[in-house]
Amino acid sequence: MSGPLLQIRRSSASLWGSGNDTRRRPVVAKYIDTTTCIGCKACEVACQEWNDLKPVPTQQTGTYQTMPELHAQFWNLIRFNEKETEQGFAWLMRKDQCMHCEDPGCLAACPAPGAIVQYENGIVDVNPAACIGCGYCLTGCPFNVPKFQSTGGKMAKCTLCVDRVGVGLEPACIKACPTGCLQFGTKDDMVARGHSRVEQLKAGGFVNALLYDPPGVGGTGVVTVLAHGDHPEWYGLPADPHVPLSVRFAKSVLRPLGVLAMVGAVLGAFAHFMHQGPKVPPEGE
Amino acid sequence: MTSVARARHSEDVVVRDEIVRHRLASRAIHWTVALFFFIALFSGLPIWTPVFGWMAHFFGGLTVCRWLHPWAGLIFFASMAVMFVHWLDDMRLKPSDREWLRPRKIAAYMRHEDVLAEEGKYNGGQKLFFFATALGAIGLLLSGVVLWFPLTFPQLVRELATLLHDVTFILFVVAIVFHIYLGTAAEPGTFDSMVRGTVSKRWARFHHSRWYREVMGEEPRRP
Repeated sequence: MSGPLLQIRRSSASLWGSGNDTRRRPVVAKYIDTTTCIGCKACEVACQEWNDLKPVPTQQTGTYQTMPELHAQFWNLIRFNEKETEQGFAWLMRKDQCMHCEDPGCLAACPAPGAIVQYENGIVDVNPAACIGCGYCLTGCPFNVPKFQSTGGKMAKCTLCVDRVGVGLEPACIKACPTGCLQFGTKDDMVARGHSRVEQLKAGGFVNALLYDPPGVGGTGVVTVLAHGDHPEWYGLPADPHVPLSVRFAKSVLRPLGVLAMVGAVLGAFAHFMHQGPKVPPEGE
Repeated sequence: MTSVARARHSEDVVVRDEIVRHRLASRAIHWTVALFFFIALFSGLPIWTPVFGWMAHFFGGLTVCRWLHPWAGLIFFASMAVMFVHWLDDMRLKPSDREWLRPRKIAAYMRHEDVLAEEGKYNGGQKLFFFATALGAIGLLLSGVVLWFPLTFPQLVRELATLLHDVTFILFVVAIVFHIYLGTAAEPGTFDSMVRGTVSKRWARFHHSRWYREVMGEEPRRP
């Protein structure tokens, strides 16, 4: 949490959203070009250093990947996949992290007020002080990003270096990238950059190249250039991510109806009592 | 021997102008269930919707609720199970209890049009409530365990558990509201049967006439 540097646009478990509309900052985004990533993992190290995360033991997965999944103490993971494609054998490397959805499923599912917030610039962040460790955000997230501390179970994930961005710096991973496959700027600029790169790739024979910015979650604060855009699952990305319907239905239909049903039952009992009175044996019985 | 003293051990016996309806063991298990139901209810509601967020303060905050709710729920289920076994004999469904599935029967009951109801110790409505809440407790337990340990279960199971816990809980609370209403204001004398354990003969004859005749020895006992 960056404190007063950025204002909050949306907050978990708050009835009327939150924040205010007096200021409007441009929405920021991270640009990832998987086609120029060399898998050096400088971003992994930079993330660990800047966020002062504890070392996590690496795991041999049979590939160059550091560990099988993100971790509460490891928020930036280069996923490594080998694929036989039409253009030949390919090493597909993608920087995995929180996608900073415009419509965050974690925030929708979270029951703790203020535990997950979305700042005015689109960054989705966790406030450990308010997090109760229930794990509902995991059910809300279509990218399997939320991870949980071993004690207390509080959720931890990429903050998009909100503490750097809030003072005008770029995220640590961007700073460390040696090839320029990671870029940072306004969402509009990053989308434009992504589209021009996709055009380059298409001209170069990757006809299915795509800028991954899934509309099902309102777009993401991390836009990813995929050479094989027809197969996002090759990169460990869902083809059409959505906030689960069950989460939406429970939050916006079941629970309001449930509250009404409970209040209705109490009022109904009162009304019945006023109309009928107590049930007592007739006089003289 | 006073009726209250007698009610510590015996059930369905006449003590002067009173009848023991719930002996001490029956009342103790009922109130154990009720206590842990309410702890689970009030620690669960603030997690359920921010509308009830203020309730979390009674327990020391939402983090305490997240810890307390599953444990209270577990003890609630365990005491429900004990209560189920304890009362099952009296709750066996008879063909005539099917009447209570019909809205007309329930309407007549609510309109007080069924005076001197020809009922045993428990009427069909009470039996249905007994089995419905037992079923509800199973639903709450199964879905609750999934929500308790989200990292242990796959996505689809967690989503279904969320919906099952919600739906079961809403139905359960609505049923409990009517249970409390019928057991207190709506039918004077009923609450006493769950506190002191006894009811008046007049109450027994009016609400459960067949049970009354059986207890008075006017006709043989039937299940």
